[in-house]
Amino acid sequence: MSGVGPVEPGEGTHAWDAPDAGRTTAAGVGPTGPADAVDAVDAVAPTPAARLFHGLVRHRGAHRRAVSAALAAAFLLAGGGYLWATRPHEAQQAAPAPPFPSQVVDVSYLGEAAVPPDAPPRTFAFDMVLGVESGPPVTVTRLTQPYAGLSLTSAPRAPFRTKAGSVRKVVITMRVTECGKVPKNAGLPFLDVTLRNARAIQAHSFILGSRYAHDLSEAVQVACSNESGHHQNT
Amino acid sequence: MRQRSLIAITAALSAGALTLTACGSRDSDDKGSDSGGTTVTIGIDAPLTGDLSALGLGIKNSVDLAAKTANKQKYVDGVTFKIEALDDQAQPSSGQQNATKLVADKSVLGVVGPLNSSVAESMQKVFDDAKLVEVSPANTNPALTQGTDWANSKKRVYNSYFRTATTDAIQGPFAAQYLINDAKKKKVFVIDDKKTYGAGLAGTFTEEFKKLGGTVAGTEHINPDSKDFSAIATKVKNSGADVVYYGGEYPQAGPLSKQIKAAGAKIPVVGGDGIYSADFIKLAGATATGDLATSVGAPVEELASAKEFVANYKTEGYKEAYEAYGGYSYDSAWAIIEAVKKVVDDNDGKLPDDARAKVTAAMQNVSFDGVTGKVSFDEFGDATNKQLTVYAVENGAWKPVKSGTYSG
Repeated sequence: MSGVGPVEPGEGTHAWDAPDAGRTTAAGVGPTGPADAVDAVDAVAPTPAARLFHGLVRHRGAHRRAVSAALAAAFLLAGGGYLWATRPHEAQQAAPAPPFPSQVVDVSYLGEAAVPPDAPPRTFAFDMVLGVESGPPVTVTRLTQPYAGLSLTSAPRAPFRTKAGSVRKVVITMRVTECGKVPKNAGLPFLDVTLRNARAIQAHSFILGSRYAHDLSEAVQVACSNESGHHQNT
Repeated sequence: MRQRSLIAITAALSAGALTLTACGSRDSDDKGSDSGGTTVTIGIDAPLTGDLSALGLGIKNSVDLAAKTANKQKYVDGVTFKIEALDDQAQPSSGQQNATKLVADKSVLGVVGPLNSSVAESMQKVFDDAKLVEVSPANTNPALTQGTDWANSKKRVYNSYFRTATTDAIQGPFAAQYLINDAKKKKVFVIDDKKTYGAGLAGTFTEEFKKLGGTVAGTEHINPDSKDFSAIATKVKNSGADVVYYGGEYPQAGPLSKQIKAAGAKIPVVGGDGIYSADFIKLAGATATGDLATSVGAPVEELASAKEFVANYKTEGYKEAYEAYGGYSYDSAWAIIEAVKKVVDDNDGKLPDDARAKVTAAMQNVSFDGVTGKVSFDEFGDATNKQLTVYAVENGAWKPVKSGTYSG
């Protein structure tokens, strides 16, 4: 049901019923105003022609008022419709902002990687994959890890740019510089990556999971064992 | 003149009536109550009264918004969603009673909740026996999905249980990494409320903190029914700790923080998502500045989809804030809606007789872009989207300071 609700009658806006003998008014409150006047004439009209004339007069008056009301309503609706149609559209005015880079970049751990034979002692490497899901290109401006006794370099070296819909392999090479300042068995180690796109620059941590944690711990333990002094993962 | 006035009034009222008619039609669509077909109830279980009601009411309102949105969009043809929200008062026994009540209502095809992991423990079997799917927006205890021996051997216990929030297996270590590596804290005093969530979170935090080279200056357990922590505050002061980690919720964490500072220990109190509430700051007072909390998900302002949720939540005029779990609650409800849609679509547009079992099965493969990002579940029923953020109290409000994504 979409029915139009009744408009509460205001003063003088009651329907003007055709005169008939049986017409009654609620609670004895009769209509007032012009309708009464016409009805009064009508009631005393002597002939059918006269009644017809009065009927026409009444009909014309009612018709004129109805037409005027309809025109006014149409005018209001047309005006309202124009305003509605020409209202500001936010979507049209402002293109959606690009996503924050941390929301479209994914970094995953692939596995251990070989290090060059001439790499310094206590060096090991891991393969990562970095992907950009959507939005403008994302530049990695910095790539690091949080432990004081560990240095990190990457290939490609930062900064490097990746377009949406593409992935790139990143080789992380780490070297233990001070065994006492590297945890031997961190449960959830992460990489800190600074990302930049057209929207923002963000420092974001990528927690690479238990397999990375295991491989990193093992590499650190080997690097810091008594026999160590040479690179791992060869 | 009078007649012209009357005509003008008549015209204006006519136009108004037509305008109201248009509005009335739209309202009718909004409610979705007259679309006919089948009514599916999404149950809600959360603390709607009591200390944690701020979080619970945010959950309820957000699920309500999801149901209204689905109805407005006629997202599942022939199905109208409604909600049935029950109050567990953060009590496991109440949660179990509510689970039984929701199971008895055959129109309920999925439940969002609860807030507390301890309450979830009491509800899981009831729902699982009835093959009624449950999606929690807030439970973070790992054992709920991965079994009690999750640290050594993960094993799913209940196929009907899912969650959109990430777990304390990540949240605790994430906090430890932040405190050691970024905040440069080395000596922690650990306090918990002995409950499933609080004790579990404190445990995962402490293990990682020690692995990273930090030391534990002391441990204490509080009584959640108490608000006087002055004795513990004195112990904290005397321990020489440079940070306090609290496993528990804001009704106790707020006064605890206040009393620790009042005892003279000007060190940050750090907690998990259970203290990430505006009410924590109210309870802790001005000295809460510098306190920290981790919470599930990325900051709302970073997610375009969250902005739409925030705007729609505001439009609906809910009295209570959506709080920490609003987006996750909306996504939990929408996951149920997606599963119902899948079941209906696969059954010629009608709900099958074994709808609950089919909805539970469909949930495993649900995947959509939600308020909090991509929503889907792994083999344990855990969310595949595992983002976390560290927040700090600054100028009387929580401000994000660091976010991380788990991709293991």
